[in-house]
Amino acid sequence: MSVEAQLGESDLPELYRSGRAKAARSKRNRIITYVISAVIVAVVVAYGDWAKIADKYLDVERAGELFPEIITIATKNTLIYTVGAFVGGVTIGLVMAIMKLSSLRPYRWFAITYIEIFRGLPALMTIFLVGFVAPTALGVRFPQVLGVESAGIIALSLVAGAYLAETIRAGIEAVPKGQVEAARSLGMTQGQTLRIVVIPQAFRLVIPPLTNELVLLLKDTALLASLGTTAASVELTKFGKDAFNKDFNGTPFVVAAVMYLLITIPLTQVVAWLERRNKAMR
Amino acid sequence: MTATPASDSGSGSATAGSGSASRSGASATPAIELRGLHKSFGSNHVLKGIDLSVQPRQVMCLIGASGSGKSTLLRCVNRLEEPTSGAVLIDGIDITHPDCDLDLVRRDIGMVFQQFNLFPHLSAIGNVTLAQRKVLGRSDDESRTVAIEMLERVGLSDKADSYPSQLSGGQQQRVAIARALAMNPKMMLFDEATSALDPELVGDVLDVMRQLASEGMTMLVVTHEMGFARRVADHVVFMDQGVVCEQGPPDAVLGSPSTPRLQQFLEKVLEH
Ligand SMILES: Nc1ncnc2c1ncn2[C@@H]1O[C@H](COP(=O)(O)OP(=O)(O)OP(=O)(O)O)[C@@H](O)[C@H]1O
Ligand SMILES: [Mg+2]
Repeated sequence: MSVEAQLGESDLPELYRSGRAKAARSKRNRIITYVISAVIVAVVVAYGDWAKIADKYLDVERAGELFPEIITIATKNTLIYTVGAFVGGVTIGLVMAIMKLSSLRPYRWFAITYIEIFRGLPALMTIFLVGFVAPTALGVRFPQVLGVESAGIIALSLVAGAYLAETIRAGIEAVPKGQVEAARSLGMTQGQTLRIVVIPQAFRLVIPPLTNELVLLLKDTALLASLGTTAASVELTKFGKDAFNKDFNGTPFVVAAVMYLLITIPLTQVVAWLERRNKAMR
Repeated sequence: MTATPASDSGSGSATAGSGSASRSGASATPAIELRGLHKSFGSNHVLKGIDLSVQPRQVMCLIGASGSGKSTLLRCVNRLEEPTSGAVLIDGIDITHPDCDLDLVRRDIGMVFQQFNLFPHLSAIGNVTLAQRKVLGRSDDESRTVAIEMLERVGLSDKADSYPSQLSGGQQQRVAIARALAMNPKMMLFDEATSALDPELVGDVLDVMRQLASEGMTMLVVTHEMGFARRVADHVVFMDQGVVCEQGPPDAVLGSPSTPRLQQFLEKVLEH
């Protein structure tokens, strides 16, 4: 039996009394939270019209009708848009990052202007500018690539490129100066140093934010639902909406949502793991 | 051209030992020659007129208090640092000339850094082969052969496939030396190559440097290792506040310092 337990409450040192009071308070708060949550769940279960909800949103037969197209067309296209925009975004981001770090002022200004414009615009606006304004005003024709609309890939690449430029620039700047000095002292040119010493290390440093951008891009492909697409070039959200429009049953949206989560949740787990690993390596 | 130029600091300058210039005689073109070298960082005047020459096959040790400008001087020799004024001559050619191709100059000047600066994304052998392939255009086979030979020379042939993070500081520094040697440099610069090492690892690196010196490599060495300076150097230069304060053969400079500043410096260093 410990000494404190035999003492009265008033005999305890202030430190212990205060600690006990805090523990008691947090226990009380926890109990209150549980009770409130239980009441909310009970109300929802009791008053929700489950038959209707199941009928309108979880109709198994309608869900079945979505297959296999929701996989073979919609999810496939969503992935093509995502990967295409990611590759485009990383390329643009790398070029802009290098320009922003350039010692030549015009390059820096160009990069800064680009980054500010495409980070400042809503992504949907950029999609409209590329998808609608460019073809009508400038007469640009965007072909289909790999069965999807290249305008969608280009618009998302432009947006991702602006964000990735800053990420990649930070990565390049985080590579220690000694690395550049070692490379230059061996006679490597500035270009070789950047290409074979700095950039590989910079990318290693920014793998977690890069993966995170991939998740964001995947979700942003939903904005392409507003772009004119064909039945073959449609992505998941538009696919769900088209199916919903037939008889206003919500099941296609629910199934499409599940498709997104099946991809995004594992990916965010990967990001979290990469971040933990990066932290551990430091 | 003289082998033992006077510093322009005037009063503080002393040149000990006259007949000791270098192993190859005073008439040869110096491997490295600095003439009136100045370097400022903004308003911070770090090098205030340095005149020095390192003869072929000579080992020169540069000593001096922290902040006296030793690293800056060394970095001006391969122009990692841009001199504010003055000339840097490598084998008699002024490399501060605007037409000078620095990438070509640097191939011939190996440099070893306090912090090793190995490429962390490459294995030891990857570090040693990279510049051979990219700069000298050697084939994969040839660069590998040279790399293995160099790693053997620094006693690390068994660590060829290890990554820098798997090597001790002393091993990393020896890989860095192998990386520089693989370029067949005409001369080597060492900037406190052992200062970042645990005491028990210093010896291995110094042994490699001593071996290099005995093979006749031209070396300019910034060091706090007075034992190394005394035993290996042909010539010791003491820098103080951006000028060459005292220089000469190691026994003279380290054994009987003639300036109070060097006396104070040596007392401080030898206390430890
Ligand atoms: N890149 C730089 N920018 C601004 N000031 C610098 C730079 N490099 C060096 N200096 C300054 O130049 C002075 C000399 O530095 P240097 O590194 O040459 O000294 P050092 O003799 O090598 O000292 P240490 O023994 O500590 O390495 C210091 O005052 C330092 O702050
Ligand atoms: Mg230094």
